[in-house]
Amino acid sequence: MKKRVLFLLVPLSVFASSFNPQMQGYIDNLKVEAKKNNPNFVDFSAKRGEQIFTTSHIGKRGEPISCTSCHSPNLKNKGKNVHTNKVLEPLAPSVNTKRLSEVKNVKKWLRRNFNDVYKKEGTALQKGDVLYFINSK
Amino acid sequence: MKKIISTILLIASISYASGVKPVDNKLYTDECASCHFGFQPGLLPARSWVKLMGNLENHFQDDASLESKDVETLTQYLVQNSSDHAMNYKRSKKITNSISRNSTPIRISQTPYFKKKHRELRKSMITQKEIKSISNCAACHRTASEGVYSERYINIPNYGRWDD
Repeated sequence: MKKRVLFLLVPLSVFASSFNPQMQGYIDNLKVEAKKNNPNFVDFSAKRGEQIFTTSHIGKRGEPISCTSCHSPNLKNKGKNVHTNKVLEPLAPSVNTKRLSEVKNVKKWLRRNFNDVYKKEGTALQKGDVLYFINSK
Repeated sequence: MKKIISTILLIASISYASGVKPVDNKLYTDECASCHFGFQPGLLPARSWVKLMGNLENHFQDDASLESKDVETLTQYLVQNSSDHAMNYKRSKKITNSISRNSTPIRISQTPYFKKKHRELRKSMITQKEIKSISNCAACHRTASEGVYSERYINIPNYGRWDD
């Protein structure tokens, strides 16, 4: 019995930080676009994504804001919308499997939140970096 | 027997209901109530919802944009259940009647009925961190998500019950 459990757990942990096929398709499209914008592009980086996610910026409302303002600095925790007090479920896919599971939803939030925090829609590189960072949590 | 049941149902459906009709649309809950309290469509008239849904890119200073298909579906739901289409609900009727015909408020808190009902609140009650904004209905109205805004279910954080 123990062996069987282990057998089940190992593959899960191996794929814990990979994207589902739908999301991988989206990542691949972003890679093509990033390469088009910069021929030297190799791959997205969770480290650069972390920078984007945690850096404070004058947002759409003219006040300093960062992604962590609402999503909390620890992505495994619940967050809170700073303007409405609405509780947000954790963003880390490791504790909330709904996250980064549906391309339509991911595109919507990237568009909205880049606009709210950075006052412009992110580039393919920035989006890919942020997705790598979130997915590493 | 069938006839009796259908008669009862008919009477129930045309009779006056208290509060506002609760939200009964999954797309609405998923898309709109992920950022803020899920305001019932019966809290604003149809023309207000149409105006609001026409500018989701600048939704009270936030980007709440959606795919056009979803905007269409949600607008339809909001209009069909708007306050002026739900006059058998007490609050919807009062809100509708309080708004002058040539005004189109997009904030529920700017409707005359809402303002009248909240005029005695002290500012410090609203701005405290447990509430933050007058738009945070459920912070004080414990039954807000069921469309019930009766005084008896009000509990203001750090102040308690509210009696007029």
